[in-house]
Amino acid sequence: MGGVVVAQPSLADSEGAGDVTQSEQFSMIVSSSDDAIVGKTVDGVITCLNPAAERMYGYQAAELIGQPMSVLCPPDRAGEVKEYLAKIGRGEHVSHHETVRRRKDGTTFPVEITVSPIRDIGGRLIGVSSITRDTTDLEKSRSDSALSRRYEDLERANRNLEMFTYSVSHDLRAPLRALSGFSAALLEEYREVLGEDGRGYAERIQAASDQMAKLIDDMLQISRISRAELDLHQVDLGAEAAEIVQRLRRDEPGRHVDFIIQRPVQVRADPALIRTVLQNLLDNAWKFTSRQDDASIEFGTKLTVDGSVCCYVSDNGAGFDPAYADKLFTPFQRLHTIREFPGTGVGLASVRQIVERHGGHTWAEGAVSLGATFYFTLNAEETA
Amino acid sequence: MMSQPILLIEDNPDDVALTLRALKKNNILNQVTVASDGAEALELLLADGPLPGLILLDLKLPKVDGLEVLRRVRANERTQIIPVVVLTSSKLDEDVIASYRNGANAYVRKPVKFSDFVEAISTLGVFWLLLNEAVPD
Repeated sequence: MGGVVVAQPSLADSEGAGDVTQSEQFSMIVSSSDDAIVGKTVDGVITCLNPAAERMYGYQAAELIGQPMSVLCPPDRAGEVKEYLAKIGRGEHVSHHETVRRRKDGTTFPVEITVSPIRDIGGRLIGVSSITRDTTDLEKSRSDSALSRRYEDLERANRNLEMFTYSVSHDLRAPLRALSGFSAALLEEYREVLGEDGRGYAERIQAASDQMAKLIDDMLQISRISRAELDLHQVDLGAEAAEIVQRLRRDEPGRHVDFIIQRPVQVRADPALIRTVLQNLLDNAWKFTSRQDDASIEFGTKLTVDGSVCCYVSDNGAGFDPAYADKLFTPFQRLHTIREFPGTGVGLASVRQIVERHGGHTWAEGAVSLGATFYFTLNAEETA
Repeated sequence: MMSQPILLIEDNPDDVALTLRALKKNNILNQVTVASDGAEALELLLADGPLPGLILLDLKLPKVDGLEVLRRVRANERTQIIPVVVLTSSKLDEDVIASYRNGANAYVRKPVKFSDFVEAISTLGVFWLLLNEAVPD
């Protein structure tokens, strides 16, 4: 082994390093180096290499001697060797160049290369040498510290977000309360003076401030979901759905809606959050079937294309234009006017956020006047 | 029935006006003293004068904040028995917990909708001024 052969015994047998010739000592330095040192012709054909080069690239010296230097480069870096040689030919230096090299088994690793000319006594270029350092560990520690920096940035951003949430919850509500309160005072104490138009305007101020208060609360809820820790338990979604349906029926006993609820549907999820998902989906189904005489709503599960199980809530209500299927899940996005169907447009955004926190997906199918189906998968086992 | 004055500690003049209006609408006729920051509130409370029978306390106040006012009220022998209702815009868990930890007797989030606000004040009035046994004079 070793392109550079060193007479080890001469050192062991000798009485001191003084007996070793300068050139022998030099050769020992090369062979004991951890950096790969490779000699090559001016055309880049390998002529000799040290043991570190064998270890680094995974070749025996004999396999490499006579080969072009480019065998040690990944295909996309093969041109580099030519560039180095051209630079050396022009008398320029190549020092501490960061690039990637390839081992015999095809794997690659990051390196730092310095290339130097070898000249004879007359100064004529007779060869080229390269010293290559494997920087895998260096890169790793670099990326580790970059990672911890990013983590700190993220922590800071989260803290800022919490401060922002606080000021939103506190500072924006106060002026809204004034709008709502003083327009109420106008309506009560200056009813006659205001006249019909004036009362209408005051009522609009009230309605708008109430709506904005709802928006702020919903926004806060979304930010809470994104920060909440998942507390995973076994949950029967069928039982949860049945309970929500009972409440819907109790709140609006006048409506006749057929429900089909699959039971049990056992999943592993955060009970409070998954309840919010079902609540939003069933509330929506209930709301958007309000103009249907023969309304029907279904909760169940089916197999998806890839063989996993997904849950769905479907209804035969107002539906939506499939062109907007994905927009449905965007916060504050609404496809209907408030007059048609009330709401802030946050329900489905919360649904998507909660499902994604559980490692699942959401999607919707539907058509105008032909009802809608909302699907979600949960994958909490893997993400927990 | 509690007949002592109510101390309202609130920096926002709109909220002061709305609270006074809501009290009036609910026929709560107790005298209401207003302190518009924490320092002024402490000055009133820690002086030798007559004490309020109920404190309505906002949390976010200039100079001395609401939680600090609460701490100082609880630390003082004369004022520590006064019922304190935190009346604030915040419903952050941290604020609720910190308020109870520092000795708040109740925590109410001010509703935006005025009719809800009036109702909240009415419920507070019924409970603290009628139902609840006040601290004896």
